[in-house]
Amino acid sequence: MNIFFLLITILFSGALLVFLINKVAPKIGGIIAFATIALVSFLFFTQVDTGDTYQFTLGEIPMQFGVTPYTYIFAIIVLGLGTLASLYSIGYMQGKKRLGYYYANFILTVTGMIGIIFSQDFISFFIFWEIMTWSSYLLVIYTGHKSQNIGMKYMIFSAIGAYAMLTAIVSIKANYGTYNIADAIQNGAFNFSEHMYIPIMLLIGFTVKAALMPLHVWAPNAYSKSPMAFTSIFSGAMSKMGILGIGLVLASAYSYTDHENVNYVVALRYTLGWLGGITAVMATIYALIQTDAKKLLAYSSIAQLGYIIVGLSTGSELGVMAALFLAIVHGIFKGALFMVVGAVEKQVGTTDMTKISGLIRKMPFTFFVALVSIIALAGIPPLGGFVGKWMLYEALITESNNYFLVIVIFFSSTAAFLYSYRFLFGLFLGQEEKDTEHVKEAPITMIIPMMILAILLMVTGAFPGILFEPIAHGMHYLGFSDVNWDMSILVNVWGEESNMTYINLSIGIVFVAIFAFLTIKGYKGTKNVGTKDISTGGEIPTENENLTYQMDFFKPFERAAAPLYKRSMNKIWNDLGNALEALTDFIRKIYSGNGQTYALFVVIFLVILLLFKDTLFAN
Amino acid sequence: MEDLGLKIFGAILTTIMAFTVGMTYGGIVRKLTARVQNRYGPPVYQNFLDLLKLQSKKTNIAHGFMGHMAPVWIIIAAVTVLMFIPILNGNLWFPNLSFHGDLIFLLYMMVFGSLGMALGAGQTGNPNSAIGVTRGLSQMVGYEIPFVLALVALMIQFQTTSVQDLTQVQHETGVWNAFANPFAFLAALLASLGMFRYSPFDIVGAPAELASGPVSEFGGKYLGTMMSGGAVFAFIKLTLYVHLFFGGAGNPDDSGILATLAGIGILLVKTFLLYMIPVFYGWINPRYRTEQAIRYFWGWPTALGIVGVLWAVFFN
Repeated sequence: MNIFFLLITILFSGALLVFLINKVAPKIGGIIAFATIALVSFLFFTQVDTGDTYQFTLGEIPMQFGVTPYTYIFAIIVLGLGTLASLYSIGYMQGKKRLGYYYANFILTVTGMIGIIFSQDFISFFIFWEIMTWSSYLLVIYTGHKSQNIGMKYMIFSAIGAYAMLTAIVSIKANYGTYNIADAIQNGAFNFSEHMYIPIMLLIGFTVKAALMPLHVWAPNAYSKSPMAFTSIFSGAMSKMGILGIGLVLASAYSYTDHENVNYVVALRYTLGWLGGITAVMATIYALIQTDAKKLLAYSSIAQLGYIIVGLSTGSELGVMAALFLAIVHGIFKGALFMVVGAVEKQVGTTDMTKISGLIRKMPFTFFVALVSIIALAGIPPLGGFVGKWMLYEALITESNNYFLVIVIFFSSTAAFLYSYRFLFGLFLGQEEKDTEHVKEAPITMIIPMMILAILLMVTGAFPGILFEPIAHGMHYLGFSDVNWDMSILVNVWGEESNMTYINLSIGIVFVAIFAFLTIKGYKGTKNVGTKDISTGGEIPTENENLTYQMDFFKPFERAAAPLYKRSMNKIWNDLGNALEALTDFIRKIYSGNGQTYALFVVIFLVILLLFKDTLFAN
Repeated sequence: MEDLGLKIFGAILTTIMAFTVGMTYGGIVRKLTARVQNRYGPPVYQNFLDLLKLQSKKTNIAHGFMGHMAPVWIIIAAVTVLMFIPILNGNLWFPNLSFHGDLIFLLYMMVFGSLGMALGAGQTGNPNSAIGVTRGLSQMVGYEIPFVLALVALMIQFQTTSVQDLTQVQHETGVWNAFANPFAFLAALLASLGMFRYSPFDIVGAPAELASGPVSEFGGKYLGTMMSGGAVFAFIKLTLYVHLFFGGAGNPDDSGILATLAGIGILLVKTFLLYMIPVFYGWINPRYRTEQAIRYFWGWPTALGIVGVLWAVFFN
């Protein structure tokens, strides 16, 4: 059997097996799911080479499976994160109901993503896209009827995207006579010369999944209400399928465009870039007023996807490289952060930051993962997040004329420090309350995948070249010739560099020296105290004094940025929905379902005919 | 190996110099402020005495892991940034890595220490510390906007993102960047008021309001180490500004002892004069509320920064 078929078959049969076996032995469902995805990852990374293709016909439509260097980048994200998230699920889902349903849909979502990566024709692409959407929808509504509305919103927006995409696919077949993606690109389906709506329709389909404004409103709730083990791939990997599509359309639009049409592409790029920038800012300022850690991360995901889209929209070598690098790194740290929140939810029972605080001593490993991931998210050296941010800024400053977009992005990532701190403080720091005294560290099956992700973040910071290699191959496929990269040195087009080796060395040496100094010096005289042993303005707090500071955390910032909070895309969509409802209500008045009303319509129609019969039937 | 040894020696020497200068400036400001307020004030070397006292305390109170790490992070950020900025333009006595890390890196690295501080303060459980941190972070979102606008203006005006190159440009043309792009300079200058956290922007420590805010639970060796880091940081910010806008210091063609000493002298004069701007501004101002401070930076400084960027685009 062909390897691509084999992998898809393994995944499908794994999903079926997990669903069926749940009735007999619910405990091993998680292990089977993990084994399935791990086996597929192993086979993929050992047996599949980029460039392999397999053709077959379904009905009379020629289809093609294969892996291009570009989709290989996304395969790394999906399979890497998918394996770890399925391992994490074993611990996270323990004791929960409907495990068969959960694991089957989990595997199906991964199948959908892997199928998208394999698809080299639009038909299978669309089929797998829908498998991914539907199975993820079923997981969004996993928690029951409370999440019904959220699931509905997600479904409506996904449907808008899917119809837009389908329209584009059919138009490509009608105009260029092919379903094959590579052929369509070469025939100029994306080149803006005659059918400008095709790339735009496709982009609408992709931006829904990438949660770009104004099509992002489904994301905050869908991300935060799904089971966290799933959200880590929902946000970490699935949103990247949208990025995959956007990158493909933008790069092809640019590479295969005549010089006359280049202005359209540039205009499209500017639009996407600014939409990405505004998405980043708005999502960031909404993230920092959230009190639920899950929702905070959900908004933060949208903001990070905004950066990635900005990077893609620059169209320059460094910018696209930054975007793809950020896509992988975002998968790592956001996957890890959702796992952290899941661990807290599992151990404490809530993720409301106004209810819990001071978990650092109880969950030290989880805190460590959260700390590393947050440093990467905030883009602080020397971790992987910094590498991506650095390249993004340099690309915007040196290679685009979009100087104010730099400021917008910078505003967003500075404000990101606020919610980063909010997240760490809200869950792990602050007063240790009595309510959380019983809390213990998460089980080992949850700690291991989180730790692996944290270590990956450190490695990508020290040796970003590990990721640059596949990215460079992928970009070459997209039409960038001669992509320069180095194992640990980042260079912009003006020749300035950031040398991660020196940076890591400097940080490492000082760290060891000062840490040793502080620990050894007066070691015996150093007394470790709890959080009640403090002085608040010279007074010693009493036993039951409430010293937790969690409400209205960034109130001053909210006041300062009040005008920004007035606009809400959600409200606009709701208004649109209400307007549609009013319209249908009005139509219902005409089609009232009452026989007498219809009889009246007939009479009125006849009267009109009689009155105007001379003008209407003059000849 | 001899070369490497010399470099490490130079790095240690640079750190000691930055530390000494930062501490002394702090002492001078304390003395001057006292005189302005009609007090006698502590001696100029009081900061050194304070540090000595703190470091020689027999008992220390540790507030958990992040509390222990906070001073470490501050020193890491201070020393690393110090290694990556040019102290004297092209001087061979001061080994620096400024060709291996540019302005964007420096911007992010400077946050590293603040984040460590914030996390350490968070773990102590003192609500005043957490409030101070949220204020500090909010204010940072305020002043970073004009500051980054100014930096972007310089970067696109001279087509470089390296501090060393920006200094070199001023050395070659003889025109300070403060005059080459006056709007960017003004924006950065106003942003520096927030960066140095003197009144009216002393909302983080906020004496009599937050009881010194984030540092309130730290003492002994921890507070001492933080103080040293803060002193190095003051020197770093001043030196960075001098190199970005005031023509830098030092002669790249001459690294003789006399020229080096002259360079250090010029650097000290420039940094001290620059340091006096936020200090003077602070003497005559009461404290802002946090949202007022943020709004201040999003007002005129940001407008000036935008004009600076446009200036760089059109008059380039």
